Amino acid sequence: MEAITEVFFDYISVRTFWRVLQFAHFTMAVALLGAVTLQTVAVMMPVRQAAGNFISRVRAAPAAAYVKPIVILYIPTFLLGAWIYLKYRTYVRIPMEQFGHWWTVGTFEFKEHIVSMGMGLLPAYWYFWRQPLTEQHETIRKWLVVFLAVSVWYSFLVGHVANDFRGVGA
Amino acid sequence: MTQTLDVHQGVTQLGRTQATAAPTTAKPAEISKAGVFAITFGITFAVLYTVLEQLNWPLFTYHPAVGKIDFWMQRPRSGEGPPMYWFGWLALSGIGAVVVSSIATFLPKPWLFRATVFCCLLAALWPAFLASGTFIADKVSFDAEFLKSVWLAGSLALVAAAAISYVASDQRVGRLWINSLWLVPVVGLAVLAYSLKSYFLR
Repeated sequence: MEAITEVFFDYISVRTFWRVLQFAHFTMAVALLGAVTLQTVAVMMPVRQAAGNFISRVRAAPAAAYVKPIVILYIPTFLLGAWIYLKYRTYVRIPMEQFGHWWTVGTFEFKEHIVSMGMGLLPAYWYFWRQPLTEQHETIRKWLVVFLAVSVWYSFLVGHVANDFRGVGA
Repeated sequence: MTQTLDVHQGVTQLGRTQATAAPTTAKPAEISKAGVFAITFGITFAVLYTVLEQLNWPLFTYHPAVGKIDFWMQRPRSGEGPPMYWFGWLALSGIGAVVVSSIATFLPKPWLFRATVFCCLLAALWPAFLASGTFIADKVSFDAEFLKSVWLAGSLALVAAAAISYVASDQRVGRLWINSLWLVPVVGLAVLAYSLKSYFLR
């Protein structure tokens, strides 16, 4: 991993490299957040016809259409986050502990667990959302969507708090 | 022909209660080998990740400050910065889950359902019995140190898990197998969250 980063350091500073990486992670996380939120709304509050205001149209959106983007976004967001986590462990967490920001440390520790569980569920999530959708698996499909949405929302918020402590622009 | 199909699809769309915008089928769902692999992977990964994190058994330890990898678990060493175990837990859970899920695809479904339910119950009951035993031993006035035994809790959990997974009907065990997919990660996360309480109680 270090050999890969060394190549970049010939062209940009170490600080800029990690900022670019974190910004890419953030951008993908925003897209993923949008996709899981829209799918959760479509699954939890479905309507039969797309009509009326914006919310009604979102509720009537085809939930199955979000599956591929979610899987495609979740994996690289996770991998990029795992890469940035190396920097977090030495550059961010140590000062966090020194300043006594234990809540931030604890919530970030939980983030690593919840995103890992989400990764473990991705194959099943993809399987249950394959066409044609079976009526018997409607409940499990719904809970998988909710689980992924909670994991993405939690990770996004906690990541944002950690970034405020020491990250891009902090 | 095209018109007939379009009309049929239109009726299906209007008659659905869920906004899935994809045809659903009401015939009994036969889970393919890929499905068995995916479901078993999800359940096994969650169980293994929780257990390995709690026991702190990573496949390897990474020292980010010096870019060094050690096999299995290594305590922090002077001058090498903080160790990272997360990658090691992920790797070991992932490999373990792939192996178990691959084996699962060859098992008859009823066996698979019962074996999964048995393992999940064992993983949940063992620490639960141990925690209860420790709690009781600390509260009662007489000597009940034997209740803190890992093996006593394990034996009780083994018997209870075997009894429940044996007695339960095929239908119930099948339903439990599918629902374990979200239930096990949620329970695992509850355990992991509890183990982080020291951060929130300082």
